[in-house]
Amino acid sequence: MKDPNKIVIAVILGIMCCFLTAGICIQMKTVKSSTTTVGRTQAENELRDSVLRWKEKYENANKKLENKEEQLEGLRDSVVNSTDSSSDLTSRLQQYNSLLGYTEVKGPGIIITLEDGDSSMLGGLATQYIVHDEDLYQVVNALKNVGAEAISINGQRITNRTAIACVGNVITVNEQKLGSPFVIQAIGPSLYLYSSLKMPGGYLSYIEDYGVKVDVKQIDKDSIVIPKYEGVYTSTYASNVEE
Amino acid sequence: MKAKITLIICIGCTALILTAVMFTQFKTVDQTDITAIETMREAELRTELASWKTKYEDIETKIEERDSKINEYKQELNNGANSLKILEDEVKEAEGYLGYTDVEGEGIVVTLKDTDIYNIENYELLKLVNELNIAGAEAISINDQRVVSGTDITLVNNRIILVNTKKVSGPYIVKAIGDKKYFESALTIKGGYIDEVKASGRDVEYKVEDNIVIPAYDGELEFKYAKENVKEKEVKE
Repeated sequence: MKDPNKIVIAVILGIMCCFLTAGICIQMKTVKSSTTTVGRTQAENELRDSVLRWKEKYENANKKLENKEEQLEGLRDSVVNSTDSSSDLTSRLQQYNSLLGYTEVKGPGIIITLEDGDSSMLGGLATQYIVHDEDLYQVVNALKNVGAEAISINGQRITNRTAIACVGNVITVNEQKLGSPFVIQAIGPSLYLYSSLKMPGGYLSYIEDYGVKVDVKQIDKDSIVIPKYEGVYTSTYASNVEE
Repeated sequence: MKAKITLIICIGCTALILTAVMFTQFKTVDQTDITAIETMREAELRTELASWKTKYEDIETKIEERDSKINEYKQELNNGANSLKILEDEVKEAEGYLGYTDVEGEGIVVTLKDTDIYNIENYELLKLVNELNIAGAEAISINDQRVVSGTDITLVNNRIILVNTKKVSGPYIVKAIGDKKYFESALTIKGGYIDEVKASGRDVEYKVEDNIVIPAYDGELEFKYAKENVKEKEVKE
């Protein structure tokens, strides 16, 4: 056994591995950049840029809003403090705001995924196995029937004013365009929600028969997070009746 | 023996580096949701752009609203005299949106009736509520049952319709407050809601009115399962 020989082999092996790693890394990077540059038009590039710009704008505005929110909370507290009254009003306001959907909530519940059926497998009329606006409000209604407290579709919080509309062949929820798959999250009594939505003869089994892909998951832990309503409630026409 | 150990260590080290590099690679790919945008087509990009724009505009209106609230609070706090009133007003406003108060205003009254051939089912009501929401309804009731965030419209035994778990029966009078002209055109558009219901052999009438009163929700909304998701706030020093 020649020890020095073996060491040399080991070192060579190590160096080779190093080169290999570097090679793989460079390869991956080049592959990534080459595929993305291929087949891109100028217009698409510009669009991509503006999407990113608006997204950033939105994120900045969101941060600003959070700041304002905090400021307002502080002011509310100081109003309550300055008048020596109980803080019942502020807690009520907080409760109402969360009922209105102005806060992000978490809890147990179910997650339903509805996806357009596969046209190559089903053939026939596409209108039968794609997800319609009606399917969404039927499912939302069914969820409310069994006590869902907060519901979202692809991240759009459902409020009492939420409109689920079909514009051309795009579905909008809260005026946001959404596409299949539709992920409907609901917080509430998970077992009850699950068993009634999965019930044979229920709405989900009905559309499943038509070829819509349906998946229902029961989540018992507080791991469903439903985002807040992004819009604002306004009253232009309705006013409270004075007693 | 010594050589073997060195060999093993060498291979071990390179394997470690290799894994580490790969993980970082995966992580960066994971983190950049730009990659999603990279692969989008033009049409998708347009939708995406429009959606961010509306989201941004929504937030801007929210910020404006909060700003005016903040100013109101500041003024009231300086005056000192009646600063609690503004908080009370805010609570009342929220109650209005939740459906806890009677509200009035212009709008539309839609009456759905069973015919000899077909009964009105929960579908017609569900669809109507959704159509009214599309047209910007601010308050809706079905036979004086206020539609709130938890409202369900359920058909039991193919005959009985429950709204807010209360039994309602025909004729179904659906009231909505909002832009009456907009309501009218939204429902009467060719092939729209009114046409559809009539074509299905059921009876529907509507009337726009200048003053509709919609009663408050007689229940109470409550979260039993949903908890506020408190995010860890960044600690500012």
